[in-house]
Amino acid sequence: MVSTAYSYYPGCSLTSSATEYDISFRKVVEALGIQLDELEDWNCCGASPAPHHKAETLGVLLPGRNLHIAGASHDAIVAPCAGCYNRLKYAQYKLAGDQDIREQTSEVFQAEVRYQTEVLNIVQMLNREITPEALRERSQGRLANIRIGAYYGCLLTRPADILGFDSPRDPRKMRPLMEATGAEVPHFPFKTECCGSYMGLARKDILLKASHRIIEVAVSTGLDALVTACPLCHQNLDLRQEQINKAMGTSLRMPVLYFSQLIGLAMGISPEELELDALVVQPDMDRWLKGVA
Amino acid sequence: MIPLSETLSQGRELVAEIEHRSGQKVADCYQCGTCSSTCAAADAFDYPPHMFMRLLQLGAVDRAMASTTGQLCYDCMTCSSRCPIRIDVADVIETTKNIADEQGIRESERGLRLFRNLFLKNVRRHGRLHEASLLAWFNLKSGKLTNDLSLVPLILRRKNVRIVQPRIKDRAQVRRIFQRAKERPRW
Repeated sequence: MVSTAYSYYPGCSLTSSATEYDISFRKVVEALGIQLDELEDWNCCGASPAPHHKAETLGVLLPGRNLHIAGASHDAIVAPCAGCYNRLKYAQYKLAGDQDIREQTSEVFQAEVRYQTEVLNIVQMLNREITPEALRERSQGRLANIRIGAYYGCLLTRPADILGFDSPRDPRKMRPLMEATGAEVPHFPFKTECCGSYMGLARKDILLKASHRIIEVAVSTGLDALVTACPLCHQNLDLRQEQINKAMGTSLRMPVLYFSQLIGLAMGISPEELELDALVVQPDMDRWLKGVA
Repeated sequence: MIPLSETLSQGRELVAEIEHRSGQKVADCYQCGTCSSTCAAADAFDYPPHMFMRLLQLGAVDRAMASTTGQLCYDCMTCSSRCPIRIDVADVIETTKNIADEQGIRESERGLRLFRNLFLKNVRRHGRLHEASLLAWFNLKSGKLTNDLSLVPLILRRKNVRIVQPRIKDRAQVRRIFQRAKERPRW
């Protein structure tokens, strides 16, 4: 029996350093009247440390197990974490394209592998469930006081031939819903730059430089906030913003929101319910929502 | 500068292996430099991506393998997405690094290797990554005890943060997955 609800794959980050992403996503989905079924007994997708280039096994088997579980009950699985989304799509691509990989995977899983469940990221899913017109109707220009930048980073769009989501050089799929909040969404030139990825523990020096460039350009673009769909980008840009400033001798300040938090605000969900107070760099909510009843 | 005297035939075999595994032709690169100008980590590399490609074209594989480029590339794939002739530069770099690692030519940088190993060990044992445990183990093993400790209270003020290590039920299957990957790391 296939459910019309979405299978929901939160992934590891959304249970620890990014719980506000999980909470705000669930709130938005609930407000839209959509059912989410958390994937049963899900495992880590392997993220960046699991080798996955072209031929490697671990990068298919780990996310493949999640696909296999979802395939038993759901037509579509949504993974708000850009990294989890990326790895699920990669496993699906490898499984769909190679019978030998399917057979070997089935052998490890001790069952014929199910891999055809549709894999969606948060932007795709929300674009499907609410039109910009409908969101505009709900938001009534609620966020008209602010300028925000769509920050895509790497894993949401690259490699484009596997993900098939948006342009890897000039992605635009976040923008229509972001504009429907009432906010101004100017071109953000660093929208596809890398934040420094997983280098935080071992090579902070490299990471902080990469993240600094993004924050610096966001500030000089005159933005009030960046919006992301990736917990690792968020960790590097928000959680580490003080480290960035210290390392680079700057005093930049740039709030970074999750896509679900922004959409939730536009829908009239309160900042408290969307866990905005979890952010290290706090947006000035009084100014953001000035004039909103 | 790379002396042309390094264009040794002995590097050819390894270049062929890199090309085979990555599915890319290094000779196609015409050195426009777009990859390097767009690389967020190029400052940290001894050879930025286009020079790395040039080393392989010249057969100077030893230099490419010994370089920091493969070690420090974090695989953001920006270079690959911007290459005007669609060479998957990131894959060439990663493949070269993997072969260097396999052949004992150059091990990954210690801290990064430690991070990857501890990450995967945590997932292998429990099925899910626990970020706090990873941080604790990394700091213990690397000797950098205070590394990122200032971030901990910032994380803990969130709701629903998992304080204890999460574990999945079917850990046997996760063990099978890792066992298989150990026996056959490549398909």
